[in-house]
Amino acid sequence: MERAFTRALRSSDTTLSRFNPLSRILFVNDFDNGTNGWCELSGNHDNNLDNLRTKARDLRPPQLSSMTFFDTGTHGSIDGTYAMKLATRPTPGHMSQAIKRFTYAKRGAVQFEMYFTFKAETVLKPSGADTGNWDGNQDVSASSFGDFTLSNDVGEGEDGERYHCALRYMNSDNTGKLVQKWYYKTSVQPTTKMERNGTAASPVDYHVINPEDWEEVPGGHQPLCYNEIPTKANWHYLRWVFDTETRRNRELQVNDLTLDLRDIPVPLYEHPYWGCERLLNFCLDVRTHTNVRNFLWVDSAVVSVDW
Amino acid sequence: MRRFFSAVLEQSNTYSEAFCTEPFEAGWASEARWFIRILDASDGAGIEAMPQVSPDGLLWCDDEDRPDPVKLAGNAAEPVMVSFKQREFGNWLRLKVRLSGDQPKVKVLIYLALKE
Repeated sequence: MERAFTRALRSSDTTLSRFNPLSRILFVNDFDNGTNGWCELSGNHDNNLDNLRTKARDLRPPQLSSMTFFDTGTHGSIDGTYAMKLATRPTPGHMSQAIKRFTYAKRGAVQFEMYFTFKAETVLKPSGADTGNWDGNQDVSASSFGDFTLSNDVGEGEDGERYHCALRYMNSDNTGKLVQKWYYKTSVQPTTKMERNGTAASPVDYHVINPEDWEEVPGGHQPLCYNEIPTKANWHYLRWVFDTETRRNRELQVNDLTLDLRDIPVPLYEHPYWGCERLLNFCLDVRTHTNVRNFLWVDSAVVSVDW
Repeated sequence: MRRFFSAVLEQSNTYSEAFCTEPFEAGWASEARWFIRILDASDGAGIEAMPQVSPDGLLWCDDEDRPDPVKLAGNAAEPVMVSFKQREFGNWLRLKVRLSGDQPKVKVLIYLALKE
């Protein structure tokens, strides 16, 4: 009875009815109301920014984007005008990451839902430029979008474990070849502590020790809607569930594809971290493999738990 | 309550040639204030910053309200910081920054403070 009533109330809310939250909603973020606590990720430092480790600096502030393009003007978000945008620099390998920081009151299922869209920046051509082999359907910019990654940061405290679940959608590889698959990582994310004590080198890929430490999620091939040119943005639904009891991912749903992730291992740190008691962080990032800016837009995001 | 957001557009980055800050969307804000801080500079080096606007984040022109670039010398008395404002800027903002001095090198923090 209570569940049916809750469901009916949520269904009557025009934002919540787009989502399928678990019993307790931690937050509902509509970016017409600001950045909602999503902020630029930074590595650790001793109040001297020179000591930020290379891969954990200059990760760029999120923007409240009206999705304004050169050809058609303002695209706008799902509701209202603004979405949250992460934007890379136009530098090969550059990543932009935003983080929202929480702690948890109980271990269990955590569900992250969002509507998202992604693009490579438009590269203008002079009037009369050669159109090459453009077929009027597939735009070269699709191969200029690298990847985006969902991740968390869970810390149980000094006597517990710390780990990051990370799921990456690789649109194209660093040669521009379309891949369009979901991946999970197989090594821990090097930390400031690891770099300073010499157990990890400065990584090429922020999330893993070696850039090849990723495996395909079985059944994870999924072409997403690019819609032909870099100024048409179509929203996709995403639902990701991880479990802080089992320290595993549970499942990922993106539109009509649902992937069972329960058997996929999540690497744990071999050493404890001070000050990360009941840590529960949510992260989104986008990475370019070329000299074209890559963008990830989110509107909106809902996180819920089963406790 | 008015919305506010402060972006660190240059986070202690070092430059030895002219650069532009990354395009930033600020259409929701009616006020913008830039803060430029020089953390370190080679002898005699300084910067000249010109706020720019854009219809699309791709093509840029100088903000007509500021006919001359804002100058900041690296060897000025502490704190080595300058601030200035922009209004009626549309959506996109950036700074075009030139370096002055002989073989200049500067390490900068650049903040963009936005308010609805």
